[in-house]
Amino acid sequence: MELNFLAAGIMVGLAALGAAIGNSMLFSKYVEGVARQPEVRGTLFGQTMILFGLIEALPIIGVGLGIMVFFDLL
Amino acid sequence: MELTPKVQFLGLTFDVTVMIGTLFSALVVFLLSLWATRRLQMRPHGWQNAMEMLVDFCRGITRMAFDDRTAERYLAMTITLFLFIFVANELGVMLMVVADVHHPIPWLGLTEEALKESHGVSWFKSPTADLNVTLAMAVAIALYGHYAGIRASLRNYVGHYMSPLLPIHLIEEFSKPLTHAMRLWANIFAGEILITVMLTMGSPLITGAPLLVWMGFSLFVGVIQAYIFTVLANVYISQKVTAH
Repeated sequence: MELNFLAAGIMVGLAALGAAIGNSMLFSKYVEGVARQPEVRGTLFGQTMILFGLIEALPIIGVGLGIMVFFDLL
Repeated sequence: MELTPKVQFLGLTFDVTVMIGTLFSALVVFLLSLWATRRLQMRPHGWQNAMEMLVDFCRGITRMAFDDRTAERYLAMTITLFLFIFVANELGVMLMVVADVHHPIPWLGLTEEALKESHGVSWFKSPTADLNVTLAMAVAIALYGHYAGIRASLRNYVGHYMSPLLPIHLIEEFSKPLTHAMRLWANIFAGEILITVMLTMGSPLITGAPLLVWMGFSLFVGVIQAYIFTVLANVYISQKVTAH
C-alpha cells in the first residue's frame, strides 16, 4: 500500500482548488475593470500578469512537491 | 523519472545536465546580445530595435522598485537576470534530450541499478527546472541585498532590525528566498514533466493537440515567471537599500 500516491493526489488537488479560486477572482476583476474603462487595458494587463504569477506561486509549489512525492523523490 | 549524469569532484556532486543547460543558455544569451549590438545606428533596425525595447522594459522594471537615479545602478543586473531566465525557461520547452544508455558509465554516476530503475538518461533540459539553480540565484540575490543595504547605510540596516516585528523579519529572511526560488522552479519543472508525460505515455493521436496547447502555455509561463523573478529580485533588494 503506497501512500505517496495518495499524498500526491491530495497535494495536487488542493493546489488546483487554491489556484482556481484565486485566479478566477483576479481575472474577473480584470475583465470588470476593462469593461468599465477600456483605455486602461494595457496597464491593467501588466499588473494582472504580475499578480497571476504571485497567486499561482504557492499552488504550483504544491504541484512541484506533489510530482516529487509521486515519483518517490522526496 | 529520468536519470541525470553526475560527476564527483573534490567531494562535491556536479550535475552534468544542469551544467550543460546553464552553459548553453548563457551562450545563447551572449550570442543574442552580441548579434543585437553589432554596428549600432542612431535609427535602430531589427535586432538592435528589439534589444533597445528590452532595455527599456527592464528599465521600467527597476523603476518599479527604485527611484529614477538609483535605478540605473541595478539595470545591468535586471537585464542579465531577465534574459538568462527567459532563455533558460524557453529552451527547455523547445529542446529536451533524453537518451537510452545501454552500458553503465560509472564515472558519470550511471550505474547498473540506477539505469534499471529509470526511464532514460536526461542530457539537456531547462537549467531552471533544477531547484539548485533557482535556489542559488535567489540566495545570491538575498545576500546581495544585505551587502547593498550595509553599503548604503549601516545605521538604517541595523535600525531596521530593532523593531518589535523582529521574529517576523527573521522568518521572512528565510521564506522570501525560498518562495522566490521555488516559484520559478516549480512552474518550469511542472511544465516540463507534463510535456514528458504527454510525449511518452499515451498515443500521439490523443495527446497531440493537448501537447501543443501545453507547450504554448509553457512558453507563456516562462515569460511571466522570468518577469516575476526579476521584479521580485528588484523589490527584495530595494527593501534593504532604501531608507524607511
